[in-house]
Amino acid sequence: MKTRESSLLPLEDAREAALFFVVGALCFLAALAALSAKSTYGAARAWTAEVEGEFTVSLSGADAAAADAAARLLAQVDGVKEARAFSDGEINALLEPNFGRSGLPADLPVPRLIAVTGEADADDLGARLSTALHEAGYDAAVDAHAEWAGDVRNMLSVSRIAALSIVALLSATAIAVIAFATHAALLARRDIVDVLHIAGAKDRFIASLFERRFWLLGLRAGTVGALVALASVAILIALSRSGAERTGLLPQLSLDFPDLAVLVVTPVIAGLAARIAAGITVMRSLRTVM
Amino acid sequence: MTQLRPDMFEEAAVRLDGVSLRYDSSEEILSGIDLVLKPGSFSFLTGASGAGKSSLLKLLYLAQPPSRGEVSLFGRPTSRLPRDQLSALRRRVGVVFQEFRLLGHLTAYENVALPLRVMGRKETQYRRDVEELLSWVGLGERLHKRPETLSGGEQQRVAIARAVVTQPNLLIADEPTGNVDPDMAARLMRLFFELNKRLGTTVIIATHDLGLIRQIDAPVFRLADGLLVQESGATTPTARRRTDPLKAMP
Repeated sequence: MKTRESSLLPLEDAREAALFFVVGALCFLAALAALSAKSTYGAARAWTAEVEGEFTVSLSGADAAAADAAARLLAQVDGVKEARAFSDGEINALLEPNFGRSGLPADLPVPRLIAVTGEADADDLGARLSTALHEAGYDAAVDAHAEWAGDVRNMLSVSRIAALSIVALLSATAIAVIAFATHAALLARRDIVDVLHIAGAKDRFIASLFERRFWLLGLRAGTVGALVALASVAILIALSRSGAERTGLLPQLSLDFPDLAVLVVTPVIAGLAARIAAGITVMRSLRTVM
Repeated sequence: MTQLRPDMFEEAAVRLDGVSLRYDSSEEILSGIDLVLKPGSFSFLTGASGAGKSSLLKLLYLAQPPSRGEVSLFGRPTSRLPRDQLSALRRRVGVVFQEFRLLGHLTAYENVALPLRVMGRKETQYRRDVEELLSWVGLGERLHKRPETLSGGEQQRVAIARAVVTQPNLLIADEPTGNVDPDMAARLMRLFFELNKRLGTTVIIATHDLGLIRQIDAPVFRLADGLLVQESGATTPTARRRTDPLKAMP
């Protein structure tokens, strides 16, 4: 009769169940933080690209026809993809929150607005637009949204650093917790370690028992944490899509291939961290005995 | 011309040279101990409780380095040996602990097989040997029982089977009869002697059971005040004796 050899370490006990929960929770948080960091990166790219290519030109003392002529002039400037004068309706819509639905008095001098979209690689486009308008005799101001774009970039940089710091902190915490738990497990099973040691087991042999145990624990706990993170993100995506018109500037959550890769890698990293921490802890502890 | 005999070339199984032991900053438990156990010898170690018997045995099975002096096993000084070579030496030593130290999550069979697994043997290689050994110690029907379901005497025999399953060169037993009745004690002592006689295993038994010691013709070392003195007997290998030192036993 062939039987399967029992593990030389006893089955998991309550301490390992608690550790499983802690590692799973840390992996869940780390996966969410990693996904948030990635979304923030994506949003940062999209927002800055959107803002940096856009210019708003305001013409003082010009009517709709003059604005259309100026837009045509701007469309011919090198590096301009599109230039379009705002209609009265569009201007009224922009001013509606302040002036109500009745519109503006006809004699109120309101600047005409032209929206200009530049090519991605157009250098110094704002200055060239301004020069073209002044040479044509327009009283115009060109707004490159530089201040707002700078604020967005600063805010996104802080968000990225915060997200990456959280990922790093959670990862370090998980490793420290695992190392501490391994040491506790080793102390709790000192009798087994002693018997193996006296029976002639090499340090590497004993360490490999703990490494295997904690590799599997980290892998399983990490998988549970990653799956819960996956479910959470899926729910957030569903919720954000149900209120899509109000998401505004929030980072767009997604579950594309890189996101799934993050979720797959999380348990592997947790398992490896647990295995390495266990190996180092056991080898160090064994070196304190003969 | 001097006649050459085989035992002239034999290394001592155990050699202690000026060995002392103290834990941390406490007083010395063992002081300047010299001891030689020849291969195939059978000896007792005795002394009052707390005299340091278990500490001396710890030195012999390489669980504790001495504070001073040198412990040599099978001709190899252990103080400068790399860890892997210490492990290799430990595999040549079988230990019966006073408190058995069986692993509670393993069956009797698995406990006995443990040293063989440590040595990297496959179950197909050792299964029959382990089963036969457990049958030999009267536990053929209790192979797959866990220690908690075994009596004290049964656990003792599992511990002994584990200690001898690798056919060690040196067998160290710490109070092996302390938890069993006199009949079982006699049976176990006979088992140790059989191992010594049949396999040439060097045996040293720590006990404070003077009645047991008196029944057996073997050298007795006594520990008192940290010093070791030989009280009786010669250290010649019992395997070469003509008489059975256990003949007076029940």
